[in-house]
Amino acid sequence: MRFDRPLSAALLFVLFVSSTTQSSENQHLVYKKKYVMGTVFEIAAYSESPEKASAAIDKAMEEIVRIDDLMSNYKPESALSRLNHSAHFQAQKVPSDLYRAIERAVQFSRLSGGKFDITVAPLVNLWKSALSNGMMPTPEQRRQAQDCVGYEKIELSPPDQITFHSSCMQVDLGAIGKGYAIDRAGDILRSSGIKDAFLNSGGSTILAIGAPPGQTGWLVHLRDPSHRIDPYVLLKDESVSTSEQTASSLLGHESAGHIVDPVTGKPVETKFAVSVVTPLDMPSDGLSTTLLLLGPNAGKALINNMTNVSAIWISPEAEMETAMKGAKILFSGKS
Amino acid sequence: MNVSRMVVLSLCFIVAPSSWGTVYLQWSNPAIPPASSLGVSDIVVLWDGAAPGALLASARKQGYRVYLEAPLKDSEAAAKACAKAACTGIVLNIPESEDSEAVKPLSRLRSTYPKLRFLRLNSNGKQPEMRGSVVIKRDAVLEVSSPTAQPWIDTNLALMRVDQRAHTSEVPLYTFSWADQAQQGTLTADDYSLAVAEADAFHADLVLRVDEHLQQRLNAQDRDAWALWNQVRLMLKFSPDANAAALQPAANVAVVFDQLDAGDEVLNLLGRHNIPYKVFLAADLKSQDLKPFDIVIVLAKPDAESAERIRSLAAGGDTVVVVDAHGKYPWQSSEPEHVNEHTTSYTVGSGKVLELSEPVTDPETFAQDIRRLLGKSNTMLSLWNGLTTIAVPYKDRTGTMRLLELVNYAGEPVRIQVQVKGSFSKVRYETPEGGCCQSLEPVKHDGFTEFVIPELRISGRLHLDAQ
Repeated sequence: MRFDRPLSAALLFVLFVSSTTQSSENQHLVYKKKYVMGTVFEIAAYSESPEKASAAIDKAMEEIVRIDDLMSNYKPESALSRLNHSAHFQAQKVPSDLYRAIERAVQFSRLSGGKFDITVAPLVNLWKSALSNGMMPTPEQRRQAQDCVGYEKIELSPPDQITFHSSCMQVDLGAIGKGYAIDRAGDILRSSGIKDAFLNSGGSTILAIGAPPGQTGWLVHLRDPSHRIDPYVLLKDESVSTSEQTASSLLGHESAGHIVDPVTGKPVETKFAVSVVTPLDMPSDGLSTTLLLLGPNAGKALINNMTNVSAIWISPEAEMETAMKGAKILFSGKS
Repeated sequence: MNVSRMVVLSLCFIVAPSSWGTVYLQWSNPAIPPASSLGVSDIVVLWDGAAPGALLASARKQGYRVYLEAPLKDSEAAAKACAKAACTGIVLNIPESEDSEAVKPLSRLRSTYPKLRFLRLNSNGKQPEMRGSVVIKRDAVLEVSSPTAQPWIDTNLALMRVDQRAHTSEVPLYTFSWADQAQQGTLTADDYSLAVAEADAFHADLVLRVDEHLQQRLNAQDRDAWALWNQVRLMLKFSPDANAAALQPAANVAVVFDQLDAGDEVLNLLGRHNIPYKVFLAADLKSQDLKPFDIVIVLAKPDAESAERIRSLAAGGDTVVVVDAHGKYPWQSSEPEHVNEHTTSYTVGSGKVLELSEPVTDPETFAQDIRRLLGKSNTMLSLWNGLTTIAVPYKDRTGTMRLLELVNYAGEPVRIQVQVKGSFSKVRYETPEGGCCQSLEPVKHDGFTEFVIPELRISGRLHLDAQ
């Protein structure tokens, strides 16, 4: 049986939301959520003082909003929009957070041999536009779009200057923006004295600081399109990200997935959902997209050259591949 | 449930006024602030084997019309007590399973107590909210299912659409229970306001349960409690447009069931994707004209007569999606086109029938498919940056869209770009905060009108004028 992501998220559990709960160890749990970047950010934090936890979460949420204001490509005044407007063949000074996020993305591009690329937007837009008009992009259209794509045409000049060496290049941080914001929010919580907290950006990236009182980690169930394997992890000072191509049409429409392979110029065709667990000093979001694009074989080879990283690929038919060099992925399979 | 029984049952109630948006506060504390302070005129008191005399007396003195909420089995006793206590009526909490059993007793009650109003309460509502994927268990351990692509919205739109079909002559009246947070007195003004806004936007009435902590604090003249309630009052004052009484929900997708099911995820996801739909029963395929709908989704097993109507709808240009209804049907005499492993398409006249061979296992994708099937020319409504917003269109007797009710579940103001089908020269935007009305700049093109809502907090109303 196939069930879509948001639905499964909503139906699998009964929600016992409480904004504050007192645990047995006199630690108060404070939970808040906020709609930013087109998704729901959720933060839960333990503290002896609920006021302290509440204030820290508020500050962390403010940081997420600040990052969104910098990195949104929907906001014409964002630093990213200005960069996309004026960095073609001339160096543009950018805020340090934006510089670091793009630098991080370029590292993933190198790691993946160009499969992960934050400049892929022209291809994504081409496919969306063509299919919404009931057509497929022509080879010429794809070639033209691909001319605008290529992380190697981004020149990073430390500490804060960026140049695009293409007249039509556009950067879209959709694949890593939420993860970057979660990392920054985690930094804010730690600097506010919070030792045990859980941050979630719409399910796609989750960051766990410490663990709940009396527990070894934060229990996180991973995406399982088959609904038969139910993998889970106990996260402690780790993050997990999940990537999956957009589900294909039930009624036979041509539908472009939202993840396009910049090398082939086509939406990636994969039935797998992939989740990757990394330590806090390594962002998981770009890596999960990279692993989706690489597929299980090349992805496992990549993971095997890394330390403290684990990944799992699962198909709707319950085919599963794993690479465990870090956190242990556990299973409570239903069949 | 049998349609005729539902119709009879509906007639057993005193027909509700044609307006909607009445909020009945459910109150339990023996004391209650004046009606003028709370900003409502109607309160509901739970029947607990006896009428709570002190509260009834206090409520009447404070200027309220008082209703007793009772289950069907206690309706006789409650009505007797209600009449004696000079209250206004009975709110009957009738589970769907008891709907048909209620016909006779209600008829008797109505004739015995002609001065009392009898309202049917649908208590299957859920707390309206934008949810994340984090689950907090009672032992305060967290779990999360991952990933979720977009915010999940708990909305009562499907419940209302189903209720409107089940009881066609009534304004729906519903209620819901708050999640655990009510026990800890942490409900916010936005929680209450969202509930009020939703009922208003769906043109329904609401029994709003007031948290007991808040009741106590309001009675104690707690400043923070009154600050909260005064925000809620702003939403309560955002009363329905009197001119809208003649308007009907607009929809171009029909969804046909064997049995009405407000929990069906197809309805939920159509609503979340702002695809306006109307609910029908399989019997309606024979008795009602579904031609005005561009797409008919059949989640029922058609009998021979219904199947012929489906063929006829398709021949007339409609697209009919028949789900998991294996069998021999008249449209199958056309050449089948195997679209994918689950779907077969039959071209019939100027329309088509799409057979989906399995139940809808992925309602999110199915809703997106329906939007694509509608195509640009038949898309009644499109929102950009509206992932947390439900928009409900209403039309006049000529079929022209005149009103668009908006509810934002995010708790954060959003700026939304809207495209509606039709050519409108004037677009006016009304909100609880800004009143009526701000003129928006419409841009007309290709039979559609586009405009930008600068800020939607919780509730907004768009008046569309073709003149």
